[in-house]
Amino acid sequence: MSDVVLLSLTIFAPTLGALGLMFFEKTAEEAMRIYSLVVTVVTFGLTIVMLGRFDPSLGAAEYTVAFQMDSITPWIPAWNINYQLGVDGISLPLVLLTSLVSMLAMMASWSITKYVRGYLILFLLLETGMLGVFMALDFFLFYIFWEVMLLPMYFLIGVWGGPRREYAAIKFFLYTLAGSVLMLIAMLMFYFNSAGSALTNYESSFDLIKLTQLAQEGGLLNREVQLIAFILLFIGFAIKVPTFPFHTWLPDAHVEAPTPISMILAGVLLKMGGYGIIRIAMPLCPYGAQVAAYTLVAIGVFSIIYGAFAAMAQTDFKRLVAYSSVSHMGYVLLGLAIWQVDRLTGATTNSDYWHMGINGAMFQMLAHGVSSAGMFFMVGVIYDRVHHRDLNQFGGLMQKMPFYSAIAVGIFFAGLGLPGLCGFIGEAFTVISSWSYSKVMAIIAASGVILTAGYILWTIQRVYLGPEYKGPHPEALTPANSRENTVAVVLLVLAIFLGCYPWSMFSLMDESTRLLTESLAQGYEALHETVEQVSSVTTGQ
Amino acid sequence: MAETDRPTTNQFMSVEQYLETAESLKWLLTVAWLLPLLGFAVEIFGGYWGDRHNKVASYLAVGCIGTGFVCSLIALFTWGGATHWGHPEEAVAAAEHDHAHDEGHAHDDAHAHNDGHEHDEEHAHAEEHGPEHDDEHAHHVNDPYSAAFSGSYYMLGQFGDLTVSLDYYIDGLTIVMFCMVTLIATCIHVFAIGYMSDELTDDYEDHFVHLPGGKHFHRPGRFYRFFAYLSLFSFSMLGLVIAGNIFMVFVFWELVGVCSYLLIGFYVERKSASTAANKAFIMNRVGDFGFLIGLMILFTSFGTFRFANPHPTERAVEPGLFQMLRGEHGDLHIHGEGREAEVFLTTATGDHDKSIPYWLLVTAGLGIFAGCIGKSAQFPLQTWLPDAMEGPTPVSALVHSATMVAAGVYLAGRFYPMFTPEVLLVIAYVGCITLFIGATIAIVATDIKRVLAYSTISQLGYMMLALGVGGWVAGLFHLITHAFFKSLMFLCSGSVIHGCHHEQEMTRMGGLRKKMPITAYTMLVGVIAISGLAIPYLTFPFIGNIAFSGFYSKDEIVATALTHMSLNPVHFLLFLVPLVTAGITAFYMFRLWFMTFAGEPKDEHVYDHAHESPWVMTAPLLVLSFFAITVTWGMQIDEEGHLKPGYLVNALLTAEPAHVGEGLTEAGILGLSLPGHHAVHEYHATAGTAALIAAFAGLLISYLIYVNRAIDPAGIARQLSGTYNFLVEKWQFDNLYDAMFVRPVHIVARWPQAFDRNYLDGFLHALCRCAVWVSKWDRAFDERVVDRLVNLVGDVTFAVGRSLTVIQTGRLRQYVMFIAVGVVALFALMFVFMPTL
Repeated sequence: MSDVVLLSLTIFAPTLGALGLMFFEKTAEEAMRIYSLVVTVVTFGLTIVMLGRFDPSLGAAEYTVAFQMDSITPWIPAWNINYQLGVDGISLPLVLLTSLVSMLAMMASWSITKYVRGYLILFLLLETGMLGVFMALDFFLFYIFWEVMLLPMYFLIGVWGGPRREYAAIKFFLYTLAGSVLMLIAMLMFYFNSAGSALTNYESSFDLIKLTQLAQEGGLLNREVQLIAFILLFIGFAIKVPTFPFHTWLPDAHVEAPTPISMILAGVLLKMGGYGIIRIAMPLCPYGAQVAAYTLVAIGVFSIIYGAFAAMAQTDFKRLVAYSSVSHMGYVLLGLAIWQVDRLTGATTNSDYWHMGINGAMFQMLAHGVSSAGMFFMVGVIYDRVHHRDLNQFGGLMQKMPFYSAIAVGIFFAGLGLPGLCGFIGEAFTVISSWSYSKVMAIIAASGVILTAGYILWTIQRVYLGPEYKGPHPEALTPANSRENTVAVVLLVLAIFLGCYPWSMFSLMDESTRLLTESLAQGYEALHETVEQVSSVTTGQ
Repeated sequence: MAETDRPTTNQFMSVEQYLETAESLKWLLTVAWLLPLLGFAVEIFGGYWGDRHNKVASYLAVGCIGTGFVCSLIALFTWGGATHWGHPEEAVAAAEHDHAHDEGHAHDDAHAHNDGHEHDEEHAHAEEHGPEHDDEHAHHVNDPYSAAFSGSYYMLGQFGDLTVSLDYYIDGLTIVMFCMVTLIATCIHVFAIGYMSDELTDDYEDHFVHLPGGKHFHRPGRFYRFFAYLSLFSFSMLGLVIAGNIFMVFVFWELVGVCSYLLIGFYVERKSASTAANKAFIMNRVGDFGFLIGLMILFTSFGTFRFANPHPTERAVEPGLFQMLRGEHGDLHIHGEGREAEVFLTTATGDHDKSIPYWLLVTAGLGIFAGCIGKSAQFPLQTWLPDAMEGPTPVSALVHSATMVAAGVYLAGRFYPMFTPEVLLVIAYVGCITLFIGATIAIVATDIKRVLAYSTISQLGYMMLALGVGGWVAGLFHLITHAFFKSLMFLCSGSVIHGCHHEQEMTRMGGLRKKMPITAYTMLVGVIAISGLAIPYLTFPFIGNIAFSGFYSKDEIVATALTHMSLNPVHFLLFLVPLVTAGITAFYMFRLWFMTFAGEPKDEHVYDHAHESPWVMTAPLLVLSFFAITVTWGMQIDEEGHLKPGYLVNALLTAEPAHVGEGLTEAGILGLSLPGHHAVHEYHATAGTAALIAAFAGLLISYLIYVNRAIDPAGIARQLSGTYNFLVEKWQFDNLYDAMFVRPVHIVARWPQAFDRNYLDGFLHALCRCAVWVSKWDRAFDERVVDRLVNLVGDVTFAVGRSLTVIQTGRLRQYVMFIAVGVVALFALMFVFMPTL
């Protein structure tokens, strides 16, 4: 199987699977579910094959970004749009996370009983969109996949969601669409400014690799335009992350979405924001990224604290987990943006720590993908039983569902950032590396550990501990079944594995993030020097 | 600083022997460390699916930790054999290397004494170090790295030149800690088999949980789970001790924290237990916040987390924190004055191309120490420890007295080379305040476990104080002796609680020594040990002095404090408070013993049902009391009041940081002097006598009040009711923190919630309403203006068409006439408008 076939197959396997659903009897719901699960398992298998073919040590030569299995096929030649795919150390772990979380979310989808076929089809289309976003190397293609993912999500929330589903779905849709529009504008800015170089054969291009190289040379956009483009892209992606103040769609969407969709939302969709920043916003606007670095760090740190406080005040279990996502994704932004340069020479002064911060941020995305998907699933399991989420009406679940509760406590501890579990590595590495950028920000970010411990332990106490269950339907609290246990155990085992052996992921992404930091540093320096020259010329006159 | 040529053999052993020892120590301790983890995995799963009446989990746990103890013991002897128990002159007899520097022996060496003072002064303004000093120094300075071994397990992450990995660091301190932890843990595991035996049932009735129906709570027994948690804790604690870098310490720091959380909250149904567990974890996290800041500073300034990287032949290839910060003789390379002061760091190349501002180094030290404050329940984070007594008593003995809470002291000792004199002063004062607070509250506490908890806080304060006033060995020495006698006392109290059917109030006990003699007299051993009572001036052959372990360690601490006061008269409180508290300690400990075991029974019901505990519980008591007496074996005070160190102190001395032995004069910004070994030596006799008098005074008062009844305690309490209530309310700390932090946090937490709802969503909704409003206008405009216009045009056209139907007659003649008239009219118009044509 050639690379392009493998990658395309991985992306479109869920779509093909969705077509297959047409041939089922309308009443054969169980069969359709099992079939869809098989499709997601196959997709996961394909991503594992990709992992097998990936060579993490292959940091390519000077100018190329370390993409592997990349391919270009002309798609709309008139506009120089290509069907261009590939993975590197930044996207591959996220691809793996996507297929894994999709598989687990599909296992969690047995609780969906309304319009099963429609649900499954939309679910599989969504997976195609997500995988496509992470593998596309053409900006236009990226944009297409980005939008492809939006529609199924809208319907999945709007049709299968809770009581306020229409509100949540529209809110989600509008927010994301606003981001897309900003991204579209920036995309066209790059497109029409890319024609002036030999790299692109003096043609306008959507090719992300070429655009990155162009930006690395400082030849893509000038300083002011870069800053504008960066702000547009950043807002577009920050909505998805989400960071303060663009986060209010998240609690509503999470609360109203059905459990498996919450898992996908938290586990994968939020990562697209981070991925967009690290793959597009920063490499294409290194100057803008550097100028905005402090703002980004400040927003990240503020989100950490803000989300933690907000989580503490919630009485709705799912809303609490949703706000904890805001808090945890703040670390991602913090880790990415701690880029310190020498004001005189423009050289990057903390490259090793920044590199560590980016790796920490990437790891935090993976860790959050595991732990928050797990937390939403754990909430879903009890919601399916007692149909409420009021934190003050739980208690004593440890008695009624001991195995489930033990796993749940483990997963919540992963969210708390306990060493040995996945959450710790990402948080600790980003926070520790951030001292080299700003002492004040690092201290504020570190204080998050107290708040996080506070709200998570308080939640555990209110839900799982205590002598007896205080809410309605106590008779419905039956021990988790084997399907539910499988999902939970897989997530906990992953949390432990990532927490104990983070090098498994760092080794994949290390070369790519190193190249990224170097490319960004060069891209900034190129423009910084120009500034110096210009100013020296003016003073000379 | 010029690199000194080091011999290919260090002061203890040859290179081959070093490497061999390193390898065997690594494996022994790693096995001892990982066995409990294996035990945990088997116990937790086996127990969950197994039979609730089954004791296999406990046997497995005991087996794992017991094997760990055997491994540690072998490691101790391997290490002792290789280093000749810290007597290097026995190892390298060769004349050319006269490394006769061992501090223990240097005491007797008047020449060394004088030398020491001269060098103190040179160190004081240590700005330049010529190589000529180094040779002289080499004879008097302990080289902690020559008996230390380090290496790496596996890598967590690598970013350019930065590496984060799991390492080990093994020196005398590590091995002593391993032996102490595994030995005490083994005893406590065995004890717990008896103590927790009522959990061996399918239907455990929890008398402390009342259900709304007035009934008690019933649940299946959780015997296996208790032992699984204990095993997990043992693993975490040993990991903390073996850790070779500060990041790994942090990792296991948190893990012992979560084990403590699980064990405090073992009775998850009890609200008080789960609240205490939360409190313990969150207060520890407050300390860890500081710890994290320390980590950031160190990693950013030094680029490594490793303690030190000893190498048998050369100065470290990849120097650790200690080696970078301090020169070979423990000196700092400070340049500049005041705020500008910077400390230069020795990097792998031997150059000083890195530096850290002095104030940042102080901050880092304070940050790490903040972690120690949380973990060791020091002021101001001490309030979680008494509440932690909600856990089963073996937990209190293991986690909350002997090992985990001592980890803070251990870390302060381990990280000693990184602390500047300013940090040490803070440590000393924190310890001083803590030991006083703890002891005063212990006077009025009536719950037997809480008395012990406050006593633990107080004793930990002693250790911190010792470290802070420059008594590195004194502090860690007390850590070890305290671990034995305090775990012994906790187990005794556990035996009492077990024997009295979960009665913990001392006011309802009394006279129990007749019912449970073994418990009573082993407890007495502990009480005497902690009070520091002894008859030191009688020396018997072979046995030595009549003194228990606690006497020696407390003696060391008080002596160091006294010396510190003589050097820094301003800080006289650092001697007076511990001295007075030594008396208070003896008072409240004997009060505990008298109230519980002596006198007449106060509650017949409790007394009648009391019984001595089974052998599985009393045997550990005997073992621990044996060690509470003899752990200081070999220590002696001779006729002149001079102290001879025993094996334990010698082993610790090999790990002592290089700069401690000589002391410091007027160091740091505050000009603080720290006593060296020789100076302490001078004050030993005075301090020892003073401490002894204080302790006997405490004993006497206690005897008068609680046995002789010459003084009525209730009367005193009435007279001093203000003070009494203040102490009973634990100095109001809980109420204060509740008002200062807990409630404000809950209030602040509502703000983001409200902000989201009212402002962000409000703005969004307003935006949406705007859009709807605009589109309504749009619609109205369309309907009323655009559509109306279009309709108008349509209507007019239609009306015109309709009106023209009149002329559609179908008659040809009429049409021809219309055409003719039309043509004429056209021509007429043409002539009117274009006359020139």
